Amino acid sequence: MASEPPLLSMSGITKSFPGVRALDGVDLDVLAGEVHCLLGQNGAGKSTLIKVLAGAHQPDTGTIRWRGEGVTLRSPIAAMRLGIATIYQELDLVEHLSVAENVHLGHEPTAAGFVVRGKAAKESTAVLLKRLGHAEIDPARLVGELSAAQQQIVSMARALSHDVRLIVMDEPSAALDPDEVDNLFRIVGDLTAAGVAVVYISHRLEEIRRIGDRVTVLKDGRAVANGLPAKSTPTREVVALMTGRNVEYVFPDRPVSPPPGEPVLKVQGLSRQGEFETLDLEVRPGEIVGLAGLVGSGRSEILETVYGARKPTAGQVLVDGRALKPGSVRAAVRAGLGLAPEERKAQALLMLESVTRNVSVSSMSRFSRGGWIDRGAELGAARAATRELSLRPDNPSVPVRTLSGGNQQKAVLARWLLRGCKVLLLDEPTRGVDVGARAELYAVIRRLADEGLAVLLVSSEVPEVLGLADRVLVLREGRVVHTAPARQLDEHRVLDLVMEGSPAS
Amino acid sequence: MPEITSRRGLLFGAAAVSAGALLTGCTSNEPSDSKDEPAGNNQPAADDKPGKQVTIGFAGPQADHGWLNAINDNAKSRAEKYSDVTLEITEGSNDTAQQIGQIETLINKKVDVLVVLPADGKALTQVGLKAMRAGIPVVNLDRIFNTPQAYRCWIGGDNYGMGLNAGHYIGEKLKGKSDARVIELAGLDNLELTKQRTQGFDDALKNYPNIRKVARQAAEFTVESGQAKMAQLLQAQSKFDALWNHDDDQGVGALRAIEQAGRDDFLMVGGAGALSAFQAIKQDDGVLKATVLYPPTMAASAIDLARALGQGKGIGGMAEFEIPASITLYSAVVDKTNVDQYMPTGFR
Amino acid sequence: MTQPVSPPRDSSTDKVPAVQPPAWRGLMARADVRTLSLLGVLAALVLIGGITKPDEFLDTRNLQLVLTQASVIGVVTVGMTFVIVSGGIDLSVGAIVALASVWATTVATQEYGFAGILFTAVVVGVGCGLVNGVLIAYGAMVPFIATLAMLASARGLALQITDGKTQIVTVPSVLDLGERDAYVLGIPPLVLVFAVVTVIGWLVLNRTTFGRRTVAVGGNPEAARLAGIDVRRQRLYLYLLSGLCCGIAAFLLIVLSGSGQNTNGNLYELDAIAAAIIGGTLLTGGRGTITGSVLGVLIFTTITNIFALNNLQSDVQQIAKGAIIVAAVLVQRRTASTT
Repeated sequence: MASEPPLLSMSGITKSFPGVRALDGVDLDVLAGEVHCLLGQNGAGKSTLIKVLAGAHQPDTGTIRWRGEGVTLRSPIAAMRLGIATIYQELDLVEHLSVAENVHLGHEPTAAGFVVRGKAAKESTAVLLKRLGHAEIDPARLVGELSAAQQQIVSMARALSHDVRLIVMDEPSAALDPDEVDNLFRIVGDLTAAGVAVVYISHRLEEIRRIGDRVTVLKDGRAVANGLPAKSTPTREVVALMTGRNVEYVFPDRPVSPPPGEPVLKVQGLSRQGEFETLDLEVRPGEIVGLAGLVGSGRSEILETVYGARKPTAGQVLVDGRALKPGSVRAAVRAGLGLAPEERKAQALLMLESVTRNVSVSSMSRFSRGGWIDRGAELGAARAATRELSLRPDNPSVPVRTLSGGNQQKAVLARWLLRGCKVLLLDEPTRGVDVGARAELYAVIRRLADEGLAVLLVSSEVPEVLGLADRVLVLREGRVVHTAPARQLDEHRVLDLVMEGSPAS
Repeated sequence: MPEITSRRGLLFGAAAVSAGALLTGCTSNEPSDSKDEPAGNNQPAADDKPGKQVTIGFAGPQADHGWLNAINDNAKSRAEKYSDVTLEITEGSNDTAQQIGQIETLINKKVDVLVVLPADGKALTQVGLKAMRAGIPVVNLDRIFNTPQAYRCWIGGDNYGMGLNAGHYIGEKLKGKSDARVIELAGLDNLELTKQRTQGFDDALKNYPNIRKVARQAAEFTVESGQAKMAQLLQAQSKFDALWNHDDDQGVGALRAIEQAGRDDFLMVGGAGALSAFQAIKQDDGVLKATVLYPPTMAASAIDLARALGQGKGIGGMAEFEIPASITLYSAVVDKTNVDQYMPTGFR
Repeated sequence: MTQPVSPPRDSSTDKVPAVQPPAWRGLMARADVRTLSLLGVLAALVLIGGITKPDEFLDTRNLQLVLTQASVIGVVTVGMTFVIVSGGIDLSVGAIVALASVWATTVATQEYGFAGILFTAVVVGVGCGLVNGVLIAYGAMVPFIATLAMLASARGLALQITDGKTQIVTVPSVLDLGERDAYVLGIPPLVLVFAVVTVIGWLVLNRTTFGRRTVAVGGNPEAARLAGIDVRRQRLYLYLLSGLCCGIAAFLLIVLSGSGQNTNGNLYELDAIAAAIIGGTLLTGGRGTITGSVLGVLIFTTITNIFALNNLQSDVQQIAKGAIIVAAVLVQRRTASTT
């Protein structure tokens, strides 16, 4: 093995963008048949590195050797021809085309050079899907109709439709349920057994332990560790490399006794056809209530319906005892609700705008008279709100797109803090947030609760719900199957509940 | 022969046609409620006596400006004058495919004669051929088909002649003035007719060595563009002696710009024959001294020709038994001396 | 996602820096790079005009002429900029100008004199905008389609009203506004209206909640909705605003040309969009400036002026216009990416 050159060898790769050095002399060796994990916080340079590898970015300096020979990856097509396929986190599928058409996009099987042979495409797609353990996906269906997990399978089928030697997977497990993750790992195992190399990017250390062979850790555009053994390197060491310090998930202390007072948010018999049914819940000021459940259990749908972004088929939402107009976000906001949605960039942030404007957008009437904005007051209020949440950098005039995931989330929270909302609805509050920044975000959420906010939390990460919430509602297929104080539950129990629907002792 | 694809044609000055023009005083800006009977003349080509019944199919483009509107009115009122003529008129359309469909419908209805003012002469040649092959004589009005086989008789205006006559008129007026400067406000530059008008104008000016054309800008046959382009021309040329404007509609805007710039040191000649231009010429208190015709009365003449064809007659006053294969109208110059005669043919 | 490794630079508007930078630097930082590049283009044009036709171009009358000619399309472009910033498009502006200008110049309207003409032009403009807005905001129609339909109907109605005839204005008080020596506060009235609309437009977009909502709706409609903004009502208002601008522009055009014609406003939609785009407005919404759009209008008008003064023909003018659009967008992209 040592005599053979690595399948891929990148050395001294640098890449700068205006004002940012994204990669600063990174080396990466990938051997045929291994799972090489790429670790690093957001902004460490992982995305840039894999885009260089995919031919989407050209490095400023550095060399790339493929099976021992120097190559230039001028374009994604050039990379694809060598056998490098990339499955991006944000899937790049065409929603209005069928599965088979997506899989063969750009290299359709043709007769006479241009007539697309649809049947042949469907057949070969079916073979690929079967190989990936998802024979149930119909190659003729439109990709837009598939679930996120199924779309990922299609993306993978597309990669495999080429003669592929190296597959890059960017956080492939982020949108998957545990059993789907198992299937993913089986596929990865099959691929490596066939000699294909996998570059695997994930935030989840336990996944890396399960399937990884070697680990390269990026920090601030540099590779701080190359080719560490994935199974035996201690977690502490990996975390230390990533963050430069030793951190673990630290959840803030809960108040000793449940907060007194009347519930500020009451949800009564809320239903939405096909999503969730007859949901009842109450949240008191100062209380964090968590909803735990699998993908597809209706978690996000519940939050959005409570918030008025979706119209319920039955039931009502009461704030301070007054029923909200169903299906009206404005009524909800006026009554004191605030939502930090799951897809921050798509649903919450105005990416072209400054932090100030993102924070003030829901409270503009407070800085305006007759529609006229007092920009000084606005800036001051935004600064106060972002300071209270320790948002970095401490300058609300910077564009929100330059912030890290955790700080973007703080900007969303600051929006509702400024608005003076009473109930905060948090949907996957730490998605896309660095490990190091999570603890701080947890502390912020708890502090907001301590200051009297009612918080309704949804997360796919069970430890997060258990660690942060006071009370947990376990969801299964759109119904609450169990309610208990968080301290009486553990991860194992919750997983049993969401899988089985009943407490397995 | 000029090829005409006029989008906004102009008047013509067929002396014969307009000779006995009748009706419609139209001497003020106040629109009258009564439908103006358009110009036409009193002397039908064949003769006035009722003859064999003739059904004439008429297809023209959408009347989206004054001249085309006058074309339709001329055709209609001319047909009404004859007890032996039934006019089948289609909804005007600028869509070639739609116009082809309309003409095919007329062919299927077996009209006796067709009068066609094509939205696009080249594109409608095939349907003209079809009608001719079906035994229906076609009178091609103004915008000419690709081949003479597609029509029995073409009648239309003379764009080159417009420019020529405008140039000669200006040349005579400036005779004896040394180093005279002339400018031209042309119409839409991507139309061939605009090129023909400019060519005629330039050719005429060659006869007058004392005259030099110092500037030319193209407007778009609209009041708005006439005002804008004229304003720029006036700024560019602080002194000139004469202006030829291709089109009286854009001339409304040009006159506005001239008024706004406070200029009156030159003479202006228009084109087409709009009523407002005639009135200004008659009043003779501004720069507009004359206009060169591209007369919409050609539609009335086309009805006359169609009726004669349907009845198998020739043109009165000519020795031939047959209608001529093509008639190019004369682009007469209308100035103060003869404006009264043309006043009824002026279009809004 | 790449993230700056070094902390993001301050944009200097709020933090008091330790060392006071020279004043011009602050000014540079404040003025958008795009705006500066547009001013550069305009300056270059002025230079070209001044060199080729010093007497005719560098003349107060000519300045007055350029600004007057720019005023009609300029007012339309201000409205269009709002619509595009909100992520929409209004293809009907030219047709609305045509309809408003002919409706306001019918014999019946002219009997009511100045006020009648002005009122009719504005009401017709706003009315068309209302129809656009209702179709788009509450009828969930795509702006492209809804305003395309309005384009066709308004042009058709304008033709029906005029019967293809030119409607001459005979109201002296209206005509007087367009005369050579009509000045209000020392400024030609059309230019004054253009300036006022520009300033109000700038203030509304940059200093009011309405402007903020417009940007938010254009930048991310879903985020705007979830932040509690009434996205539909905002859209309705925006098309109303565009219609209002068209009505004002129609009145200016009546004053300028002394008439109403159904061919008025020909291709205004494309001129206004082009001016907004070279002014730096994103066609996808979420970003745009009134200053940029107005500079875009002035650039186009100045080009036309220079070409006319040099007696260049319309074919050359059109080629140059196309080249300028491409060049301006490329220059902006370059300056934007290197700073």
